[in-house]
Amino acid sequence: MKRLASCTLVVAALVSAFSSCASDDGANVRGTSCGASSGSGSASGSGSGAGSGSCASSGSGISNQGSTDNVKVNEAVAAYDQWVRDQIDGLLEKTKVFTDAVRANDVAAAKAAFAPSRENWEAIEPIAGLVPDIDGAVDSRVDDFASVNDPKFTGWHRLEYLLWEKGTTDGGTPFADELDAELMKLKTEFAKVKLTPIAVAQGSAELIEEVSEGKITGEEDRYSHTDLWDFAANVAGAEKAFELLKPAVNAADADLAADLESDFDDIDAALAKYEEGEGYQSYEALSKADKGDMQAILGSLSENLAKVPGVLKLG
Amino acid sequence: MGLSRRRFLVSSAGASAAALVAGCSNGDGGGKAVATGDTVVASPRYLPFHGIHQTGITSPVPASGLIAALDVVRADRSDLARMLRDLTDEIDGMMAGRAYPATDPRLPALQTGTLGEKPPPTDLSVVVSVGASMFDERFGLGSRKPRELVTMPFMANDKLDPDRSHGDLLLTITADSPDATIFALRQLLRRTRGHLVLRWMVDGFNRRSAPKPGQAQVRNLLGFKDGTANLDASEEGLMDEHVWVGDEDGEPAWALGGSYHVVRIIRMFVERWDRTSLTEQEAVIGREKYTGAPLDGRVETDVPDYDDDPKGKRTPLVAHIRLANPRTRATRKNLILRRGLSYSRGFDGNGNLDQGLAFACFQRSLEDGFMAVQRRLDGEPLEEYIQPQGGGFFFALPGVNRRDGWLGEQLLA
Ligand code: HEM
Repeated sequence: MKRLASCTLVVAALVSAFSSCASDDGANVRGTSCGASSGSGSASGSGSGAGSGSCASSGSGISNQGSTDNVKVNEAVAAYDQWVRDQIDGLLEKTKVFTDAVRANDVAAAKAAFAPSRENWEAIEPIAGLVPDIDGAVDSRVDDFASVNDPKFTGWHRLEYLLWEKGTTDGGTPFADELDAELMKLKTEFAKVKLTPIAVAQGSAELIEEVSEGKITGEEDRYSHTDLWDFAANVAGAEKAFELLKPAVNAADADLAADLESDFDDIDAALAKYEEGEGYQSYEALSKADKGDMQAILGSLSENLAKVPGVLKLG
Repeated sequence: MGLSRRRFLVSSAGASAAALVAGCSNGDGGGKAVATGDTVVASPRYLPFHGIHQTGITSPVPASGLIAALDVVRADRSDLARMLRDLTDEIDGMMAGRAYPATDPRLPALQTGTLGEKPPPTDLSVVVSVGASMFDERFGLGSRKPRELVTMPFMANDKLDPDRSHGDLLLTITADSPDATIFALRQLLRRTRGHLVLRWMVDGFNRRSAPKPGQAQVRNLLGFKDGTANLDASEEGLMDEHVWVGDEDGEPAWALGGSYHVVRIIRMFVERWDRTSLTEQEAVIGREKYTGAPLDGRVETDVPDYDDDPKGKRTPLVAHIRLANPRTRATRKNLILRRGLSYSRGFDGNGNLDQGLAFACFQRSLEDGFMAVQRRLDGEPLEEYIQPQGGGFFFALPGVNRRDGWLGEQLLA
């Protein structure tokens, strides 16, 4: 999960019927980060009404406001919006395979289903963060808590801890149930969200920041070492957004579009070396030299993606 | 990039960077001097970038320094050239105090802003050096390697951490305060993000002061004056004799005007040192702690006379300064230009402070310079209080002496 909890004061949040205002700094501080703006972001996660001067930045540090007349951008946003909804459907399906295995006390099957269940999530994580509180409940890491025994340490990584560190599914059922419930909530709540151009552009950049801050270090999936699955899914989500925005970026700044294209090609090629079966090798297989290359590619990607909102005159 | 980027005249061939330092500007007309206690500190300036040698090798001892070793990744020779041009452009601009153009506020700004909208004079300079690994198969530069450049070997008393040693490229950023070095580091990393990754880094400092005749400017963290018998970097003749690679050295032509650059990250066991008697400390170094005078002299400028003390009755034969420089005719060619920084980075697992000297020196020959001195120092009593933990051997590129030139141009030509 992403631990950045920023809160931009904006006058009007143009998110239809829904203003997202979550901290994702773990359940223990849920809902507190945006309180300063308008008292929104209640612990229940319902947020305040649209247009009330509420905090429009999400738990993932991206904002979802504003609009543009740029037709190419609007087409991209519409297509991305649909793609995200498809990802959420896939997420529910694959996570159920995982949680069913936990409930059936099948450790091997649960371990096998863990990384695949996270792929769709990792592909859309910053966008999913527009719905408050979900990220903290499903994807916080143990570092967000004083200890593994904190009852608020829930979600995938709690189950990962049980499966790999304890070698058991014992005690996992409540966490599996909650994971399903939270993701179902994501689907219902996300139905009320209308994606804006800035969210798509920033979300793409945010996904690469996620990789640089957690996946390349092996912190995210520290028990299962399936970080490269998440890594690849983050990149896929960012790349999807870029592909859709490419005609618009190209029209505004052709050099930037070309640089981004080659950066994405490079990171795809770097990851391809680690493909295995349906997914990826263990994080521990990642060589130091390849890690250095990846750091540089991600660095370049981040610098370039950071320019996209400005180049498209968004925000 | 506005005109301000090229505010300085490019030096004519033959003028050394050291000489240029005297003629640099502080942006508002002439350097002033500020008295602090008993020392006189020159107000910070914009140091000149152009010259046949890199400025930061011989400019006055800096108050702050940051040494960062980086590896070049996902780059071929033309990427390397582009990266070095970008580095040059950014260094030149920062040293000259270029104002960064304003951009659409919806875009990330071109500068970090940590020194304000227009970076003030900070004595900033950046020395760019290359490691032996730059000459491996990646860039086809194998035949151009400076003759003596090797990966720093493991030496007696070393406990080198590979993660804190070596590197393709070394940036030595110096300025009047840490915020200025950090500004420069962040700008340089941004400009080169796709091709450079950090390998190790150390952040250091020296007491900010101006030289007084016959007095070293700084004390290192052992409490001893550091620099007393150092080469005077403003003496061009001495620099030509001991620091700059010249025609007669049999080095590749591109390397002329450059210098072998050694960095040693040397931890000091300061707790242990502080509970060592003053007599022992002075015997280990070979100088009086407070005055800096040699043990057979009275004042700092006195020159020790080892001929008159063959048994080491006054200055022990194994004292640091006596081993480092026996002051014989034969060892004159071993003189080096030292340019270290003290560092402090928290404490270790035993609760002992992690402090030391980021020793750096420049020399015309690695063998005649650092290697010869270090061999003599092997086994010295000081070793009990210090431990080299990292660093590397590098070659400081020649300066940029042409308006449109760039660092490494001759190397990659
Ligand atoms: C933590 C490690 C070190 C400490 C604390 C240290 C300390 C000192 C001190 C206090 C002096 C006397 C003042 C001066 O002339 O600057 C000195 C001189 C000197 N040191 Fe070091 N030093 C260290 C490492 C080294 C290393 C690694 C070398 C080179 C291999 C070196 C070479 C020299 C030389 C050449 C002199 C001048 C001697 C002379 O000309 O009289 N030092 N050092």
